[in-house]
Amino acid sequence: MEKKKKFEEKLKELEKIVEELEKGDIDLDSSIEKYTKAMKLVKECDTELKKVEEQISKIVLENNETKDFSIEETE
Amino acid sequence: MNNSKYLTITALTKYLKYKFDSDENLRQVFLRGEISNLKIHSTGHLYFSLKDETSKINAIMFATNARRLPFKPVDGMNVLVTGRISVYETTGNYQIYVEDMLEDGIGNLYIAFEQLKAKLSKEGLFDQKYKKEIPKIPSRIGIITAPTGAAIRDILSTIKRRFPLCETYLFPALVQGANAAPDIVSKLRQADTFDLDVIILGRGGGSIEDLWAFNEEIVARAIFESKTPIISAVGHEVDFTIADFVSDLRAPTPTGAAEMCVPNISDVLTQINNYNIRATKALNKKVEIARVALDNIKANYILNNPIIMYENKKQLIDSYLEKIKTFIFYKVNNYGIKLDNIKANYILNHPKELYSKKEMNLDNLITKLELLNPLSVLKRGYTLTYQNDKIVKSIKSIKLDENLVVKLIDGNIKVNVVGIEVK
Repeated sequence: MEKKKKFEEKLKELEKIVEELEKGDIDLDSSIEKYTKAMKLVKECDTELKKVEEQISKIVLENNETKDFSIEETE
Repeated sequence: MNNSKYLTITALTKYLKYKFDSDENLRQVFLRGEISNLKIHSTGHLYFSLKDETSKINAIMFATNARRLPFKPVDGMNVLVTGRISVYETTGNYQIYVEDMLEDGIGNLYIAFEQLKAKLSKEGLFDQKYKKEIPKIPSRIGIITAPTGAAIRDILSTIKRRFPLCETYLFPALVQGANAAPDIVSKLRQADTFDLDVIILGRGGGSIEDLWAFNEEIVARAIFESKTPIISAVGHEVDFTIADFVSDLRAPTPTGAAEMCVPNISDVLTQINNYNIRATKALNKKVEIARVALDNIKANYILNNPIIMYENKKQLIDSYLEKIKTFIFYKVNNYGIKLDNIKANYILNHPKELYSKKEMNLDNLITKLELLNPLSVLKRGYTLTYQNDKIVKSIKSIKLDENLVVKLIDGNIKVNVVGIEVK
């Protein structure tokens, strides 16, 4: 149902990398590699959070079909 | 006498029954009363009376209807019944044929609530070990509630405000009335197939009767069986339903559920920024350590003064040369001394001395050999005792009045043993 990695997974991965970096028992080369990866994830997560324009809201019908749903319509 | 004006009981009863059955008002009667004299027949039919302070009516509820009751009727329970009034011909009694029965009054609802709560608790449906973890940042959220009203509006607006990144899926459900419970159950099952991270199940505030669907056993079991974590949000802070106990997390209100469900976007941004700062700090520390190490190497005296290295070696070679010189001199010198020593050896210069020394050694040897001769011991005044020509070595071999020979250096004494003293 989803192609891209879930946001929470990304954040967890980021946390893991940062913790590994902080442990300090890795050499400089791997540190730089991990840092690059961390910065990529930071940027991705940040962009993902900031770019979101419209919150996706659907209503699910009995036959599992989904339609856009917004509370304004119902008021 | 004309007997024809006399009716049979059957005829009268049939007539009365016809009167009852043809009366529109008696075809559907709503009655409120208290159950008494309840008997449950083995067929499942319920026989009881409904009464109030002054009157009473017999009632029967057939098994097909009785089976559908969501509660267990007991004597003294106040109920609302729907049914028709008719006559039971065998006894001539009129009675109500109950089609549906509801518990009347909050008192009864509390009894049912407590009964179900105790039952499910005993079964372990509320056990903490079954509680599923609610994801911190869900991507897909299911919402089971009425599609209109305050609950859905509160939930959606809260989610939108706090964390618009996630998708919400509303499964519109009846949240009130007799059909609410089965509808909630079917929506729970539908939602469970939707690959959701979490489901919010709830409705806005209302009376205990309004919230009742959330106290139904089928709803509780559907919540328990759901593979998706469920946050319950029924009514207000003070309202507790069975659904709340069996859910993985209970929210005080629908708004509260949305707040528990998603993080605040600004908190997440702060968190990401913190990771950024921490990662950069960690790397800077790494680089700093590496730089200090490099500086240390660079600052090394030898590296900055390579000639020193060469000079040291030169000095070393010189010292080796010196050592070798000394060694050779010493060796040569040593051999010279040894040669002189040999030359000066006394024996070599006096070979006769060697011979006379050997002569002396021979004399000594002879003296030593004499010392070893047993007879020579006698020279020093010791004696030897013989018994039948054998030397006596132990007192044990001697008997009283025995004749022995004692040998001295210059002759023998023949003796007779007059006493033996063992040491």
